[in-house]
Amino acid sequence: MPLITLEGVSYRYPEAERPALVEVSAAVEPGQVILLRGASGSGKSTLLRCLNGLVPHSTGGEFRGRVMACGLDTRTHAPRELGAHIGFVFQHPDAQFVLEDVEAELAFGMENLGLSGPLMRKRVEEVIDQVGINHLRRRGIDTLSGGERQRVAIAAALAVHPQALVLDEPTSQLDPQAAEDVLQVVMRLVAELGMTTVIAEHRVERIAPFVDRIWTLEAGVLKDQSPRTALAEGGARPPVVDLALRAGWTPIPLGLRDARVHAQGLPKPPPYPPPQAAEWNFHIGDFRGATPAVCRVENLEYRYNGVPAVRALSLSLRRGQVTALMGRNGSGKTTLLKLIAGLLTPQRGTARADVRAAYVPQDADALLFAATVEDELRGQTPEVAAPFRAWLRRYPRDLSSGERQQLAIAVVAAEAQLLLLDEPTRGLDPLVKKALSAFLRARAADGAAIVIATHDVEWAARTADRVLLMAEGEIYADGPPGSVLSDSLVFATQISKLVGGGWLLPDEVPV
Amino acid sequence: MTRHPLAWCGWATAALATAFIERNPFLQVLLLLIVINVFIAFRRGHRVHNWKIGLALAVVPIIFSVALSRFGTHVLFTLPAIPIIGGAWTLDAAVFGASTGAALLLTVAIFAVVQTTVRSADLVAALPRPFYRAGTTVALALAFAPKTVASLQSIREARQLRGQRAGWRSAPQLLLPLLLTTLERALQYGESLDARGFGSRRRSRYRPLPWTIADLAVIGTAVMALAGIVLTPAQTYNPYLGLTPSAPTVNSLLAILLLATPAISASLSRMDHATHHA
Repeated sequence: MPLITLEGVSYRYPEAERPALVEVSAAVEPGQVILLRGASGSGKSTLLRCLNGLVPHSTGGEFRGRVMACGLDTRTHAPRELGAHIGFVFQHPDAQFVLEDVEAELAFGMENLGLSGPLMRKRVEEVIDQVGINHLRRRGIDTLSGGERQRVAIAAALAVHPQALVLDEPTSQLDPQAAEDVLQVVMRLVAELGMTTVIAEHRVERIAPFVDRIWTLEAGVLKDQSPRTALAEGGARPPVVDLALRAGWTPIPLGLRDARVHAQGLPKPPPYPPPQAAEWNFHIGDFRGATPAVCRVENLEYRYNGVPAVRALSLSLRRGQVTALMGRNGSGKTTLLKLIAGLLTPQRGTARADVRAAYVPQDADALLFAATVEDELRGQTPEVAAPFRAWLRRYPRDLSSGERQQLAIAVVAAEAQLLLLDEPTRGLDPLVKKALSAFLRARAADGAAIVIATHDVEWAARTADRVLLMAEGEIYADGPPGSVLSDSLVFATQISKLVGGGWLLPDEVPV
Repeated sequence: MTRHPLAWCGWATAALATAFIERNPFLQVLLLLIVINVFIAFRRGHRVHNWKIGLALAVVPIIFSVALSRFGTHVLFTLPAIPIIGGAWTLDAAVFGASTGAALLLTVAIFAVVQTTVRSADLVAALPRPFYRAGTTVALALAFAPKTVASLQSIREARQLRGQRAGWRSAPQLLLPLLLTTLERALQYGESLDARGFGSRRRSRYRPLPWTIADLAVIGTAVMALAGIVLTPAQTYNPYLGLTPSAPTVNSLLAILLLATPAISASLSRMDHATHHA
C-alpha cells in the first residue's frame, strides 16, 4: 500500500489567476526515493507542501482532490498532526529553526509530540550519529553555516521518526561543498534506513543514480516516470545523459560509473594545451587579448580584522570577456569583487576601473523592494525595461528566483560596462541558467567586461572564456576553461571526468 | 553555579530596580563593579559586543547635559553668545549627565549579563504551563531581533548598490522593505512551527532544569535586595543642589552587596571543583 497518495489534486493560491497544481495524481510506495523536477515557479514547493497539509491549511486558496499521507487525509488533519509522520526540510537554511541551540532544536519536534525525557535523549543521540553532527551539538544555531544548518534541520526532522522525509530544494542556497555534505546525508538515510524520500533538487546529476521515480512538474501538471524515461525526455539532466542520448547508448547511464563502459568506444580527445603554452600568452592575472583592458588591479591587499582575504593580487579585465572566478568558500572571491566594485577600500594596492562597475550580490532578493516591477525599473532606459514588459504590474518578490535574478541584474547593472556577479546561478533551474548565460554572452558581445564568482563548473564551462582559480586570497590558475577546468580534480565538468582532455561539454564530444 | 533562568530574572529585576532608583555615585560604582564581576564569572567565552553602545550611552548624556544646561554654580568656562551652546558651562551639569549616563550604562550591563546567562528557550521552558504559548511567541520575537538587524544591514547595502543614499533621511524608505522581509520570515517561521507539530498536544520537556541551592540563593538574595532598595528611602543625589554626594546608608549598601551572590556562588563552585580535583 502506498505511503502517500495524491488523487486529482488541483490547487489555486488565493487571488491567483492560474492554478498552481492541475489534477495531480501520484503515489509514493514505502522506501521509494522520488526526485521532483521542474522549472522555478512550476509548483514544486506547492506540491511538496501538499504532502504535509501546509497547502491548503497555512496558505488558504482553492484546493480540490485528496492527499492521503500515512493514512491521514490532509483535508481533515492539520500540518501539526502530520508533523509526526512527515519530516519536512525547507529551502532556506535559516527559516526553519525555532530555538537557539542545536540540541534544543533536535528535541523540539519530540517535545511537541509529548515524548518522555529518556526516549528523547536516546533519539537525540541517535540522530546526532546518523547525520554525523556530534561536533555541532553544543553550538548555537546562529553560529552554523548554511550546510550545517540544513544537516541539523534534517536531523531534527528525523528525530520524530517520520515515515517519510520531504525536502524542498535543501541545497539551493548552499555552495557546492555544503550541498554535497547535505546530499550525502540524504543518500545515507536512503541507503541505511530505507527512508522514504521525496526531494526537489536541481543537482540532478548527483542523485539521479539513486532515485526510483522522477516526478516532473510543468506549469502545475505532473508527470510520474521512471528515471530513464524522464531524463531521456528532457528537463534538468546530467551531462552524461545528454552525451548518452547523442551517442545512442542504451540503457542510458544515470551516473559516471555506468557511463564509463560506454565511454571506451569514444574517440580520444585532443590533448589540450596546458595553460603555460605560449599560444595563450599565459601570465597569471594578465590574460592578453585583442580587446582593451577596462580594469586593472595591482598588488591588491585586503584583511578582515587582520586575516588576509586578498593578498598581493594583480589582474586585468578586458572588454568582451566573461571571466569565471572559482575557488572554495572563503578563498576571497566576494572580497575581490567588492574591491573591484569600490564597495571596499583596498588596504594596499589599487583597483582601477575605467568604466562604471556594478556588483550584484548573492542574495538578489535584497535588491528588490518596490511594490511593482514597473517601480523597480523607474528611471531605466526603455531598452533595459523591454524584457520585463509582461510583468510590469507584478510584485517583484512574487517572481520566481530566476526572474528575480534577471530583474536584479537589470536594475543594478543596466548601464554598467563592468559587471561583477556573485554566485548568480545559486538556486536557478537549468533553463534559467541557460538564459542567464545567453544574456551575459550578449552583454559581453556588446563590449562589457564580466566577472562571475561561481561554484557552478558546468555553467562556467558553458559561459566563460576565461577561468580564474583562487585560494587563500591569491589567484593560482588563469586561462581558458578548456585548459583550467580539464586539468583539475575538483573543478572538472562531468564530461571531462568521463573522457579527459579538452572536452568539457557533451556537445563538444564527436560521436 | 546558577543555571535557572527564573533565578536570573529575579536577579536582573532587583539589579535594574537598583540602577533606576539609586543615584548615589558611590552606590552606582559599587553596583557597576558587581555587575561586571557577575558578567566575568558567567560569560563562558562570550565576547562583549555592545560595550561601545554602553559607553556611548554613558558619555552622550554628559555631553548633552553640559552643552545644553545653563544651571549650576561651578562654572568651568564661558562661551560667547553662540545660539544653543553659548553661555556658562558648569561642572554641575556635567556631573548630572554622568549620573544619568551611569544609570544607562548599568542597564546595558545588566542586560548583557542576562543575554549571556539565559537562553530564551530555557526561559520559555521554565514558564508555568498557562504561559507556555505566550512565552514561545516572546522567544520567537526575541530570536527575530538580531535577524531584523541583519536584514536592515542587507537592505542598506542593497540601496547603496543601487546608488541610493544610505543616510538618516532614507530611514522611511528602509522601513517598508524591513517590514516586508520580517513578515516573510514570520510566515516561514509559522510554517515551520506547524510542520514540526507545535501545539498539537501537551508538550513534554527535554532536559528540564532543576532548581539548585545556588539558584535558590540567588533568587532569595535578589528578593531581599529588592525589598531593601524599595523599602528604604532612595538616596537621591542631585548635583545641582550639592555636588558632594552623601555617604550611602548601610541598608542600601547591604542590598547592593547582596546582588553579588551569583558571582560568589560561581567562585564557590569553582573552589569546590578545585578541591575535588586535588
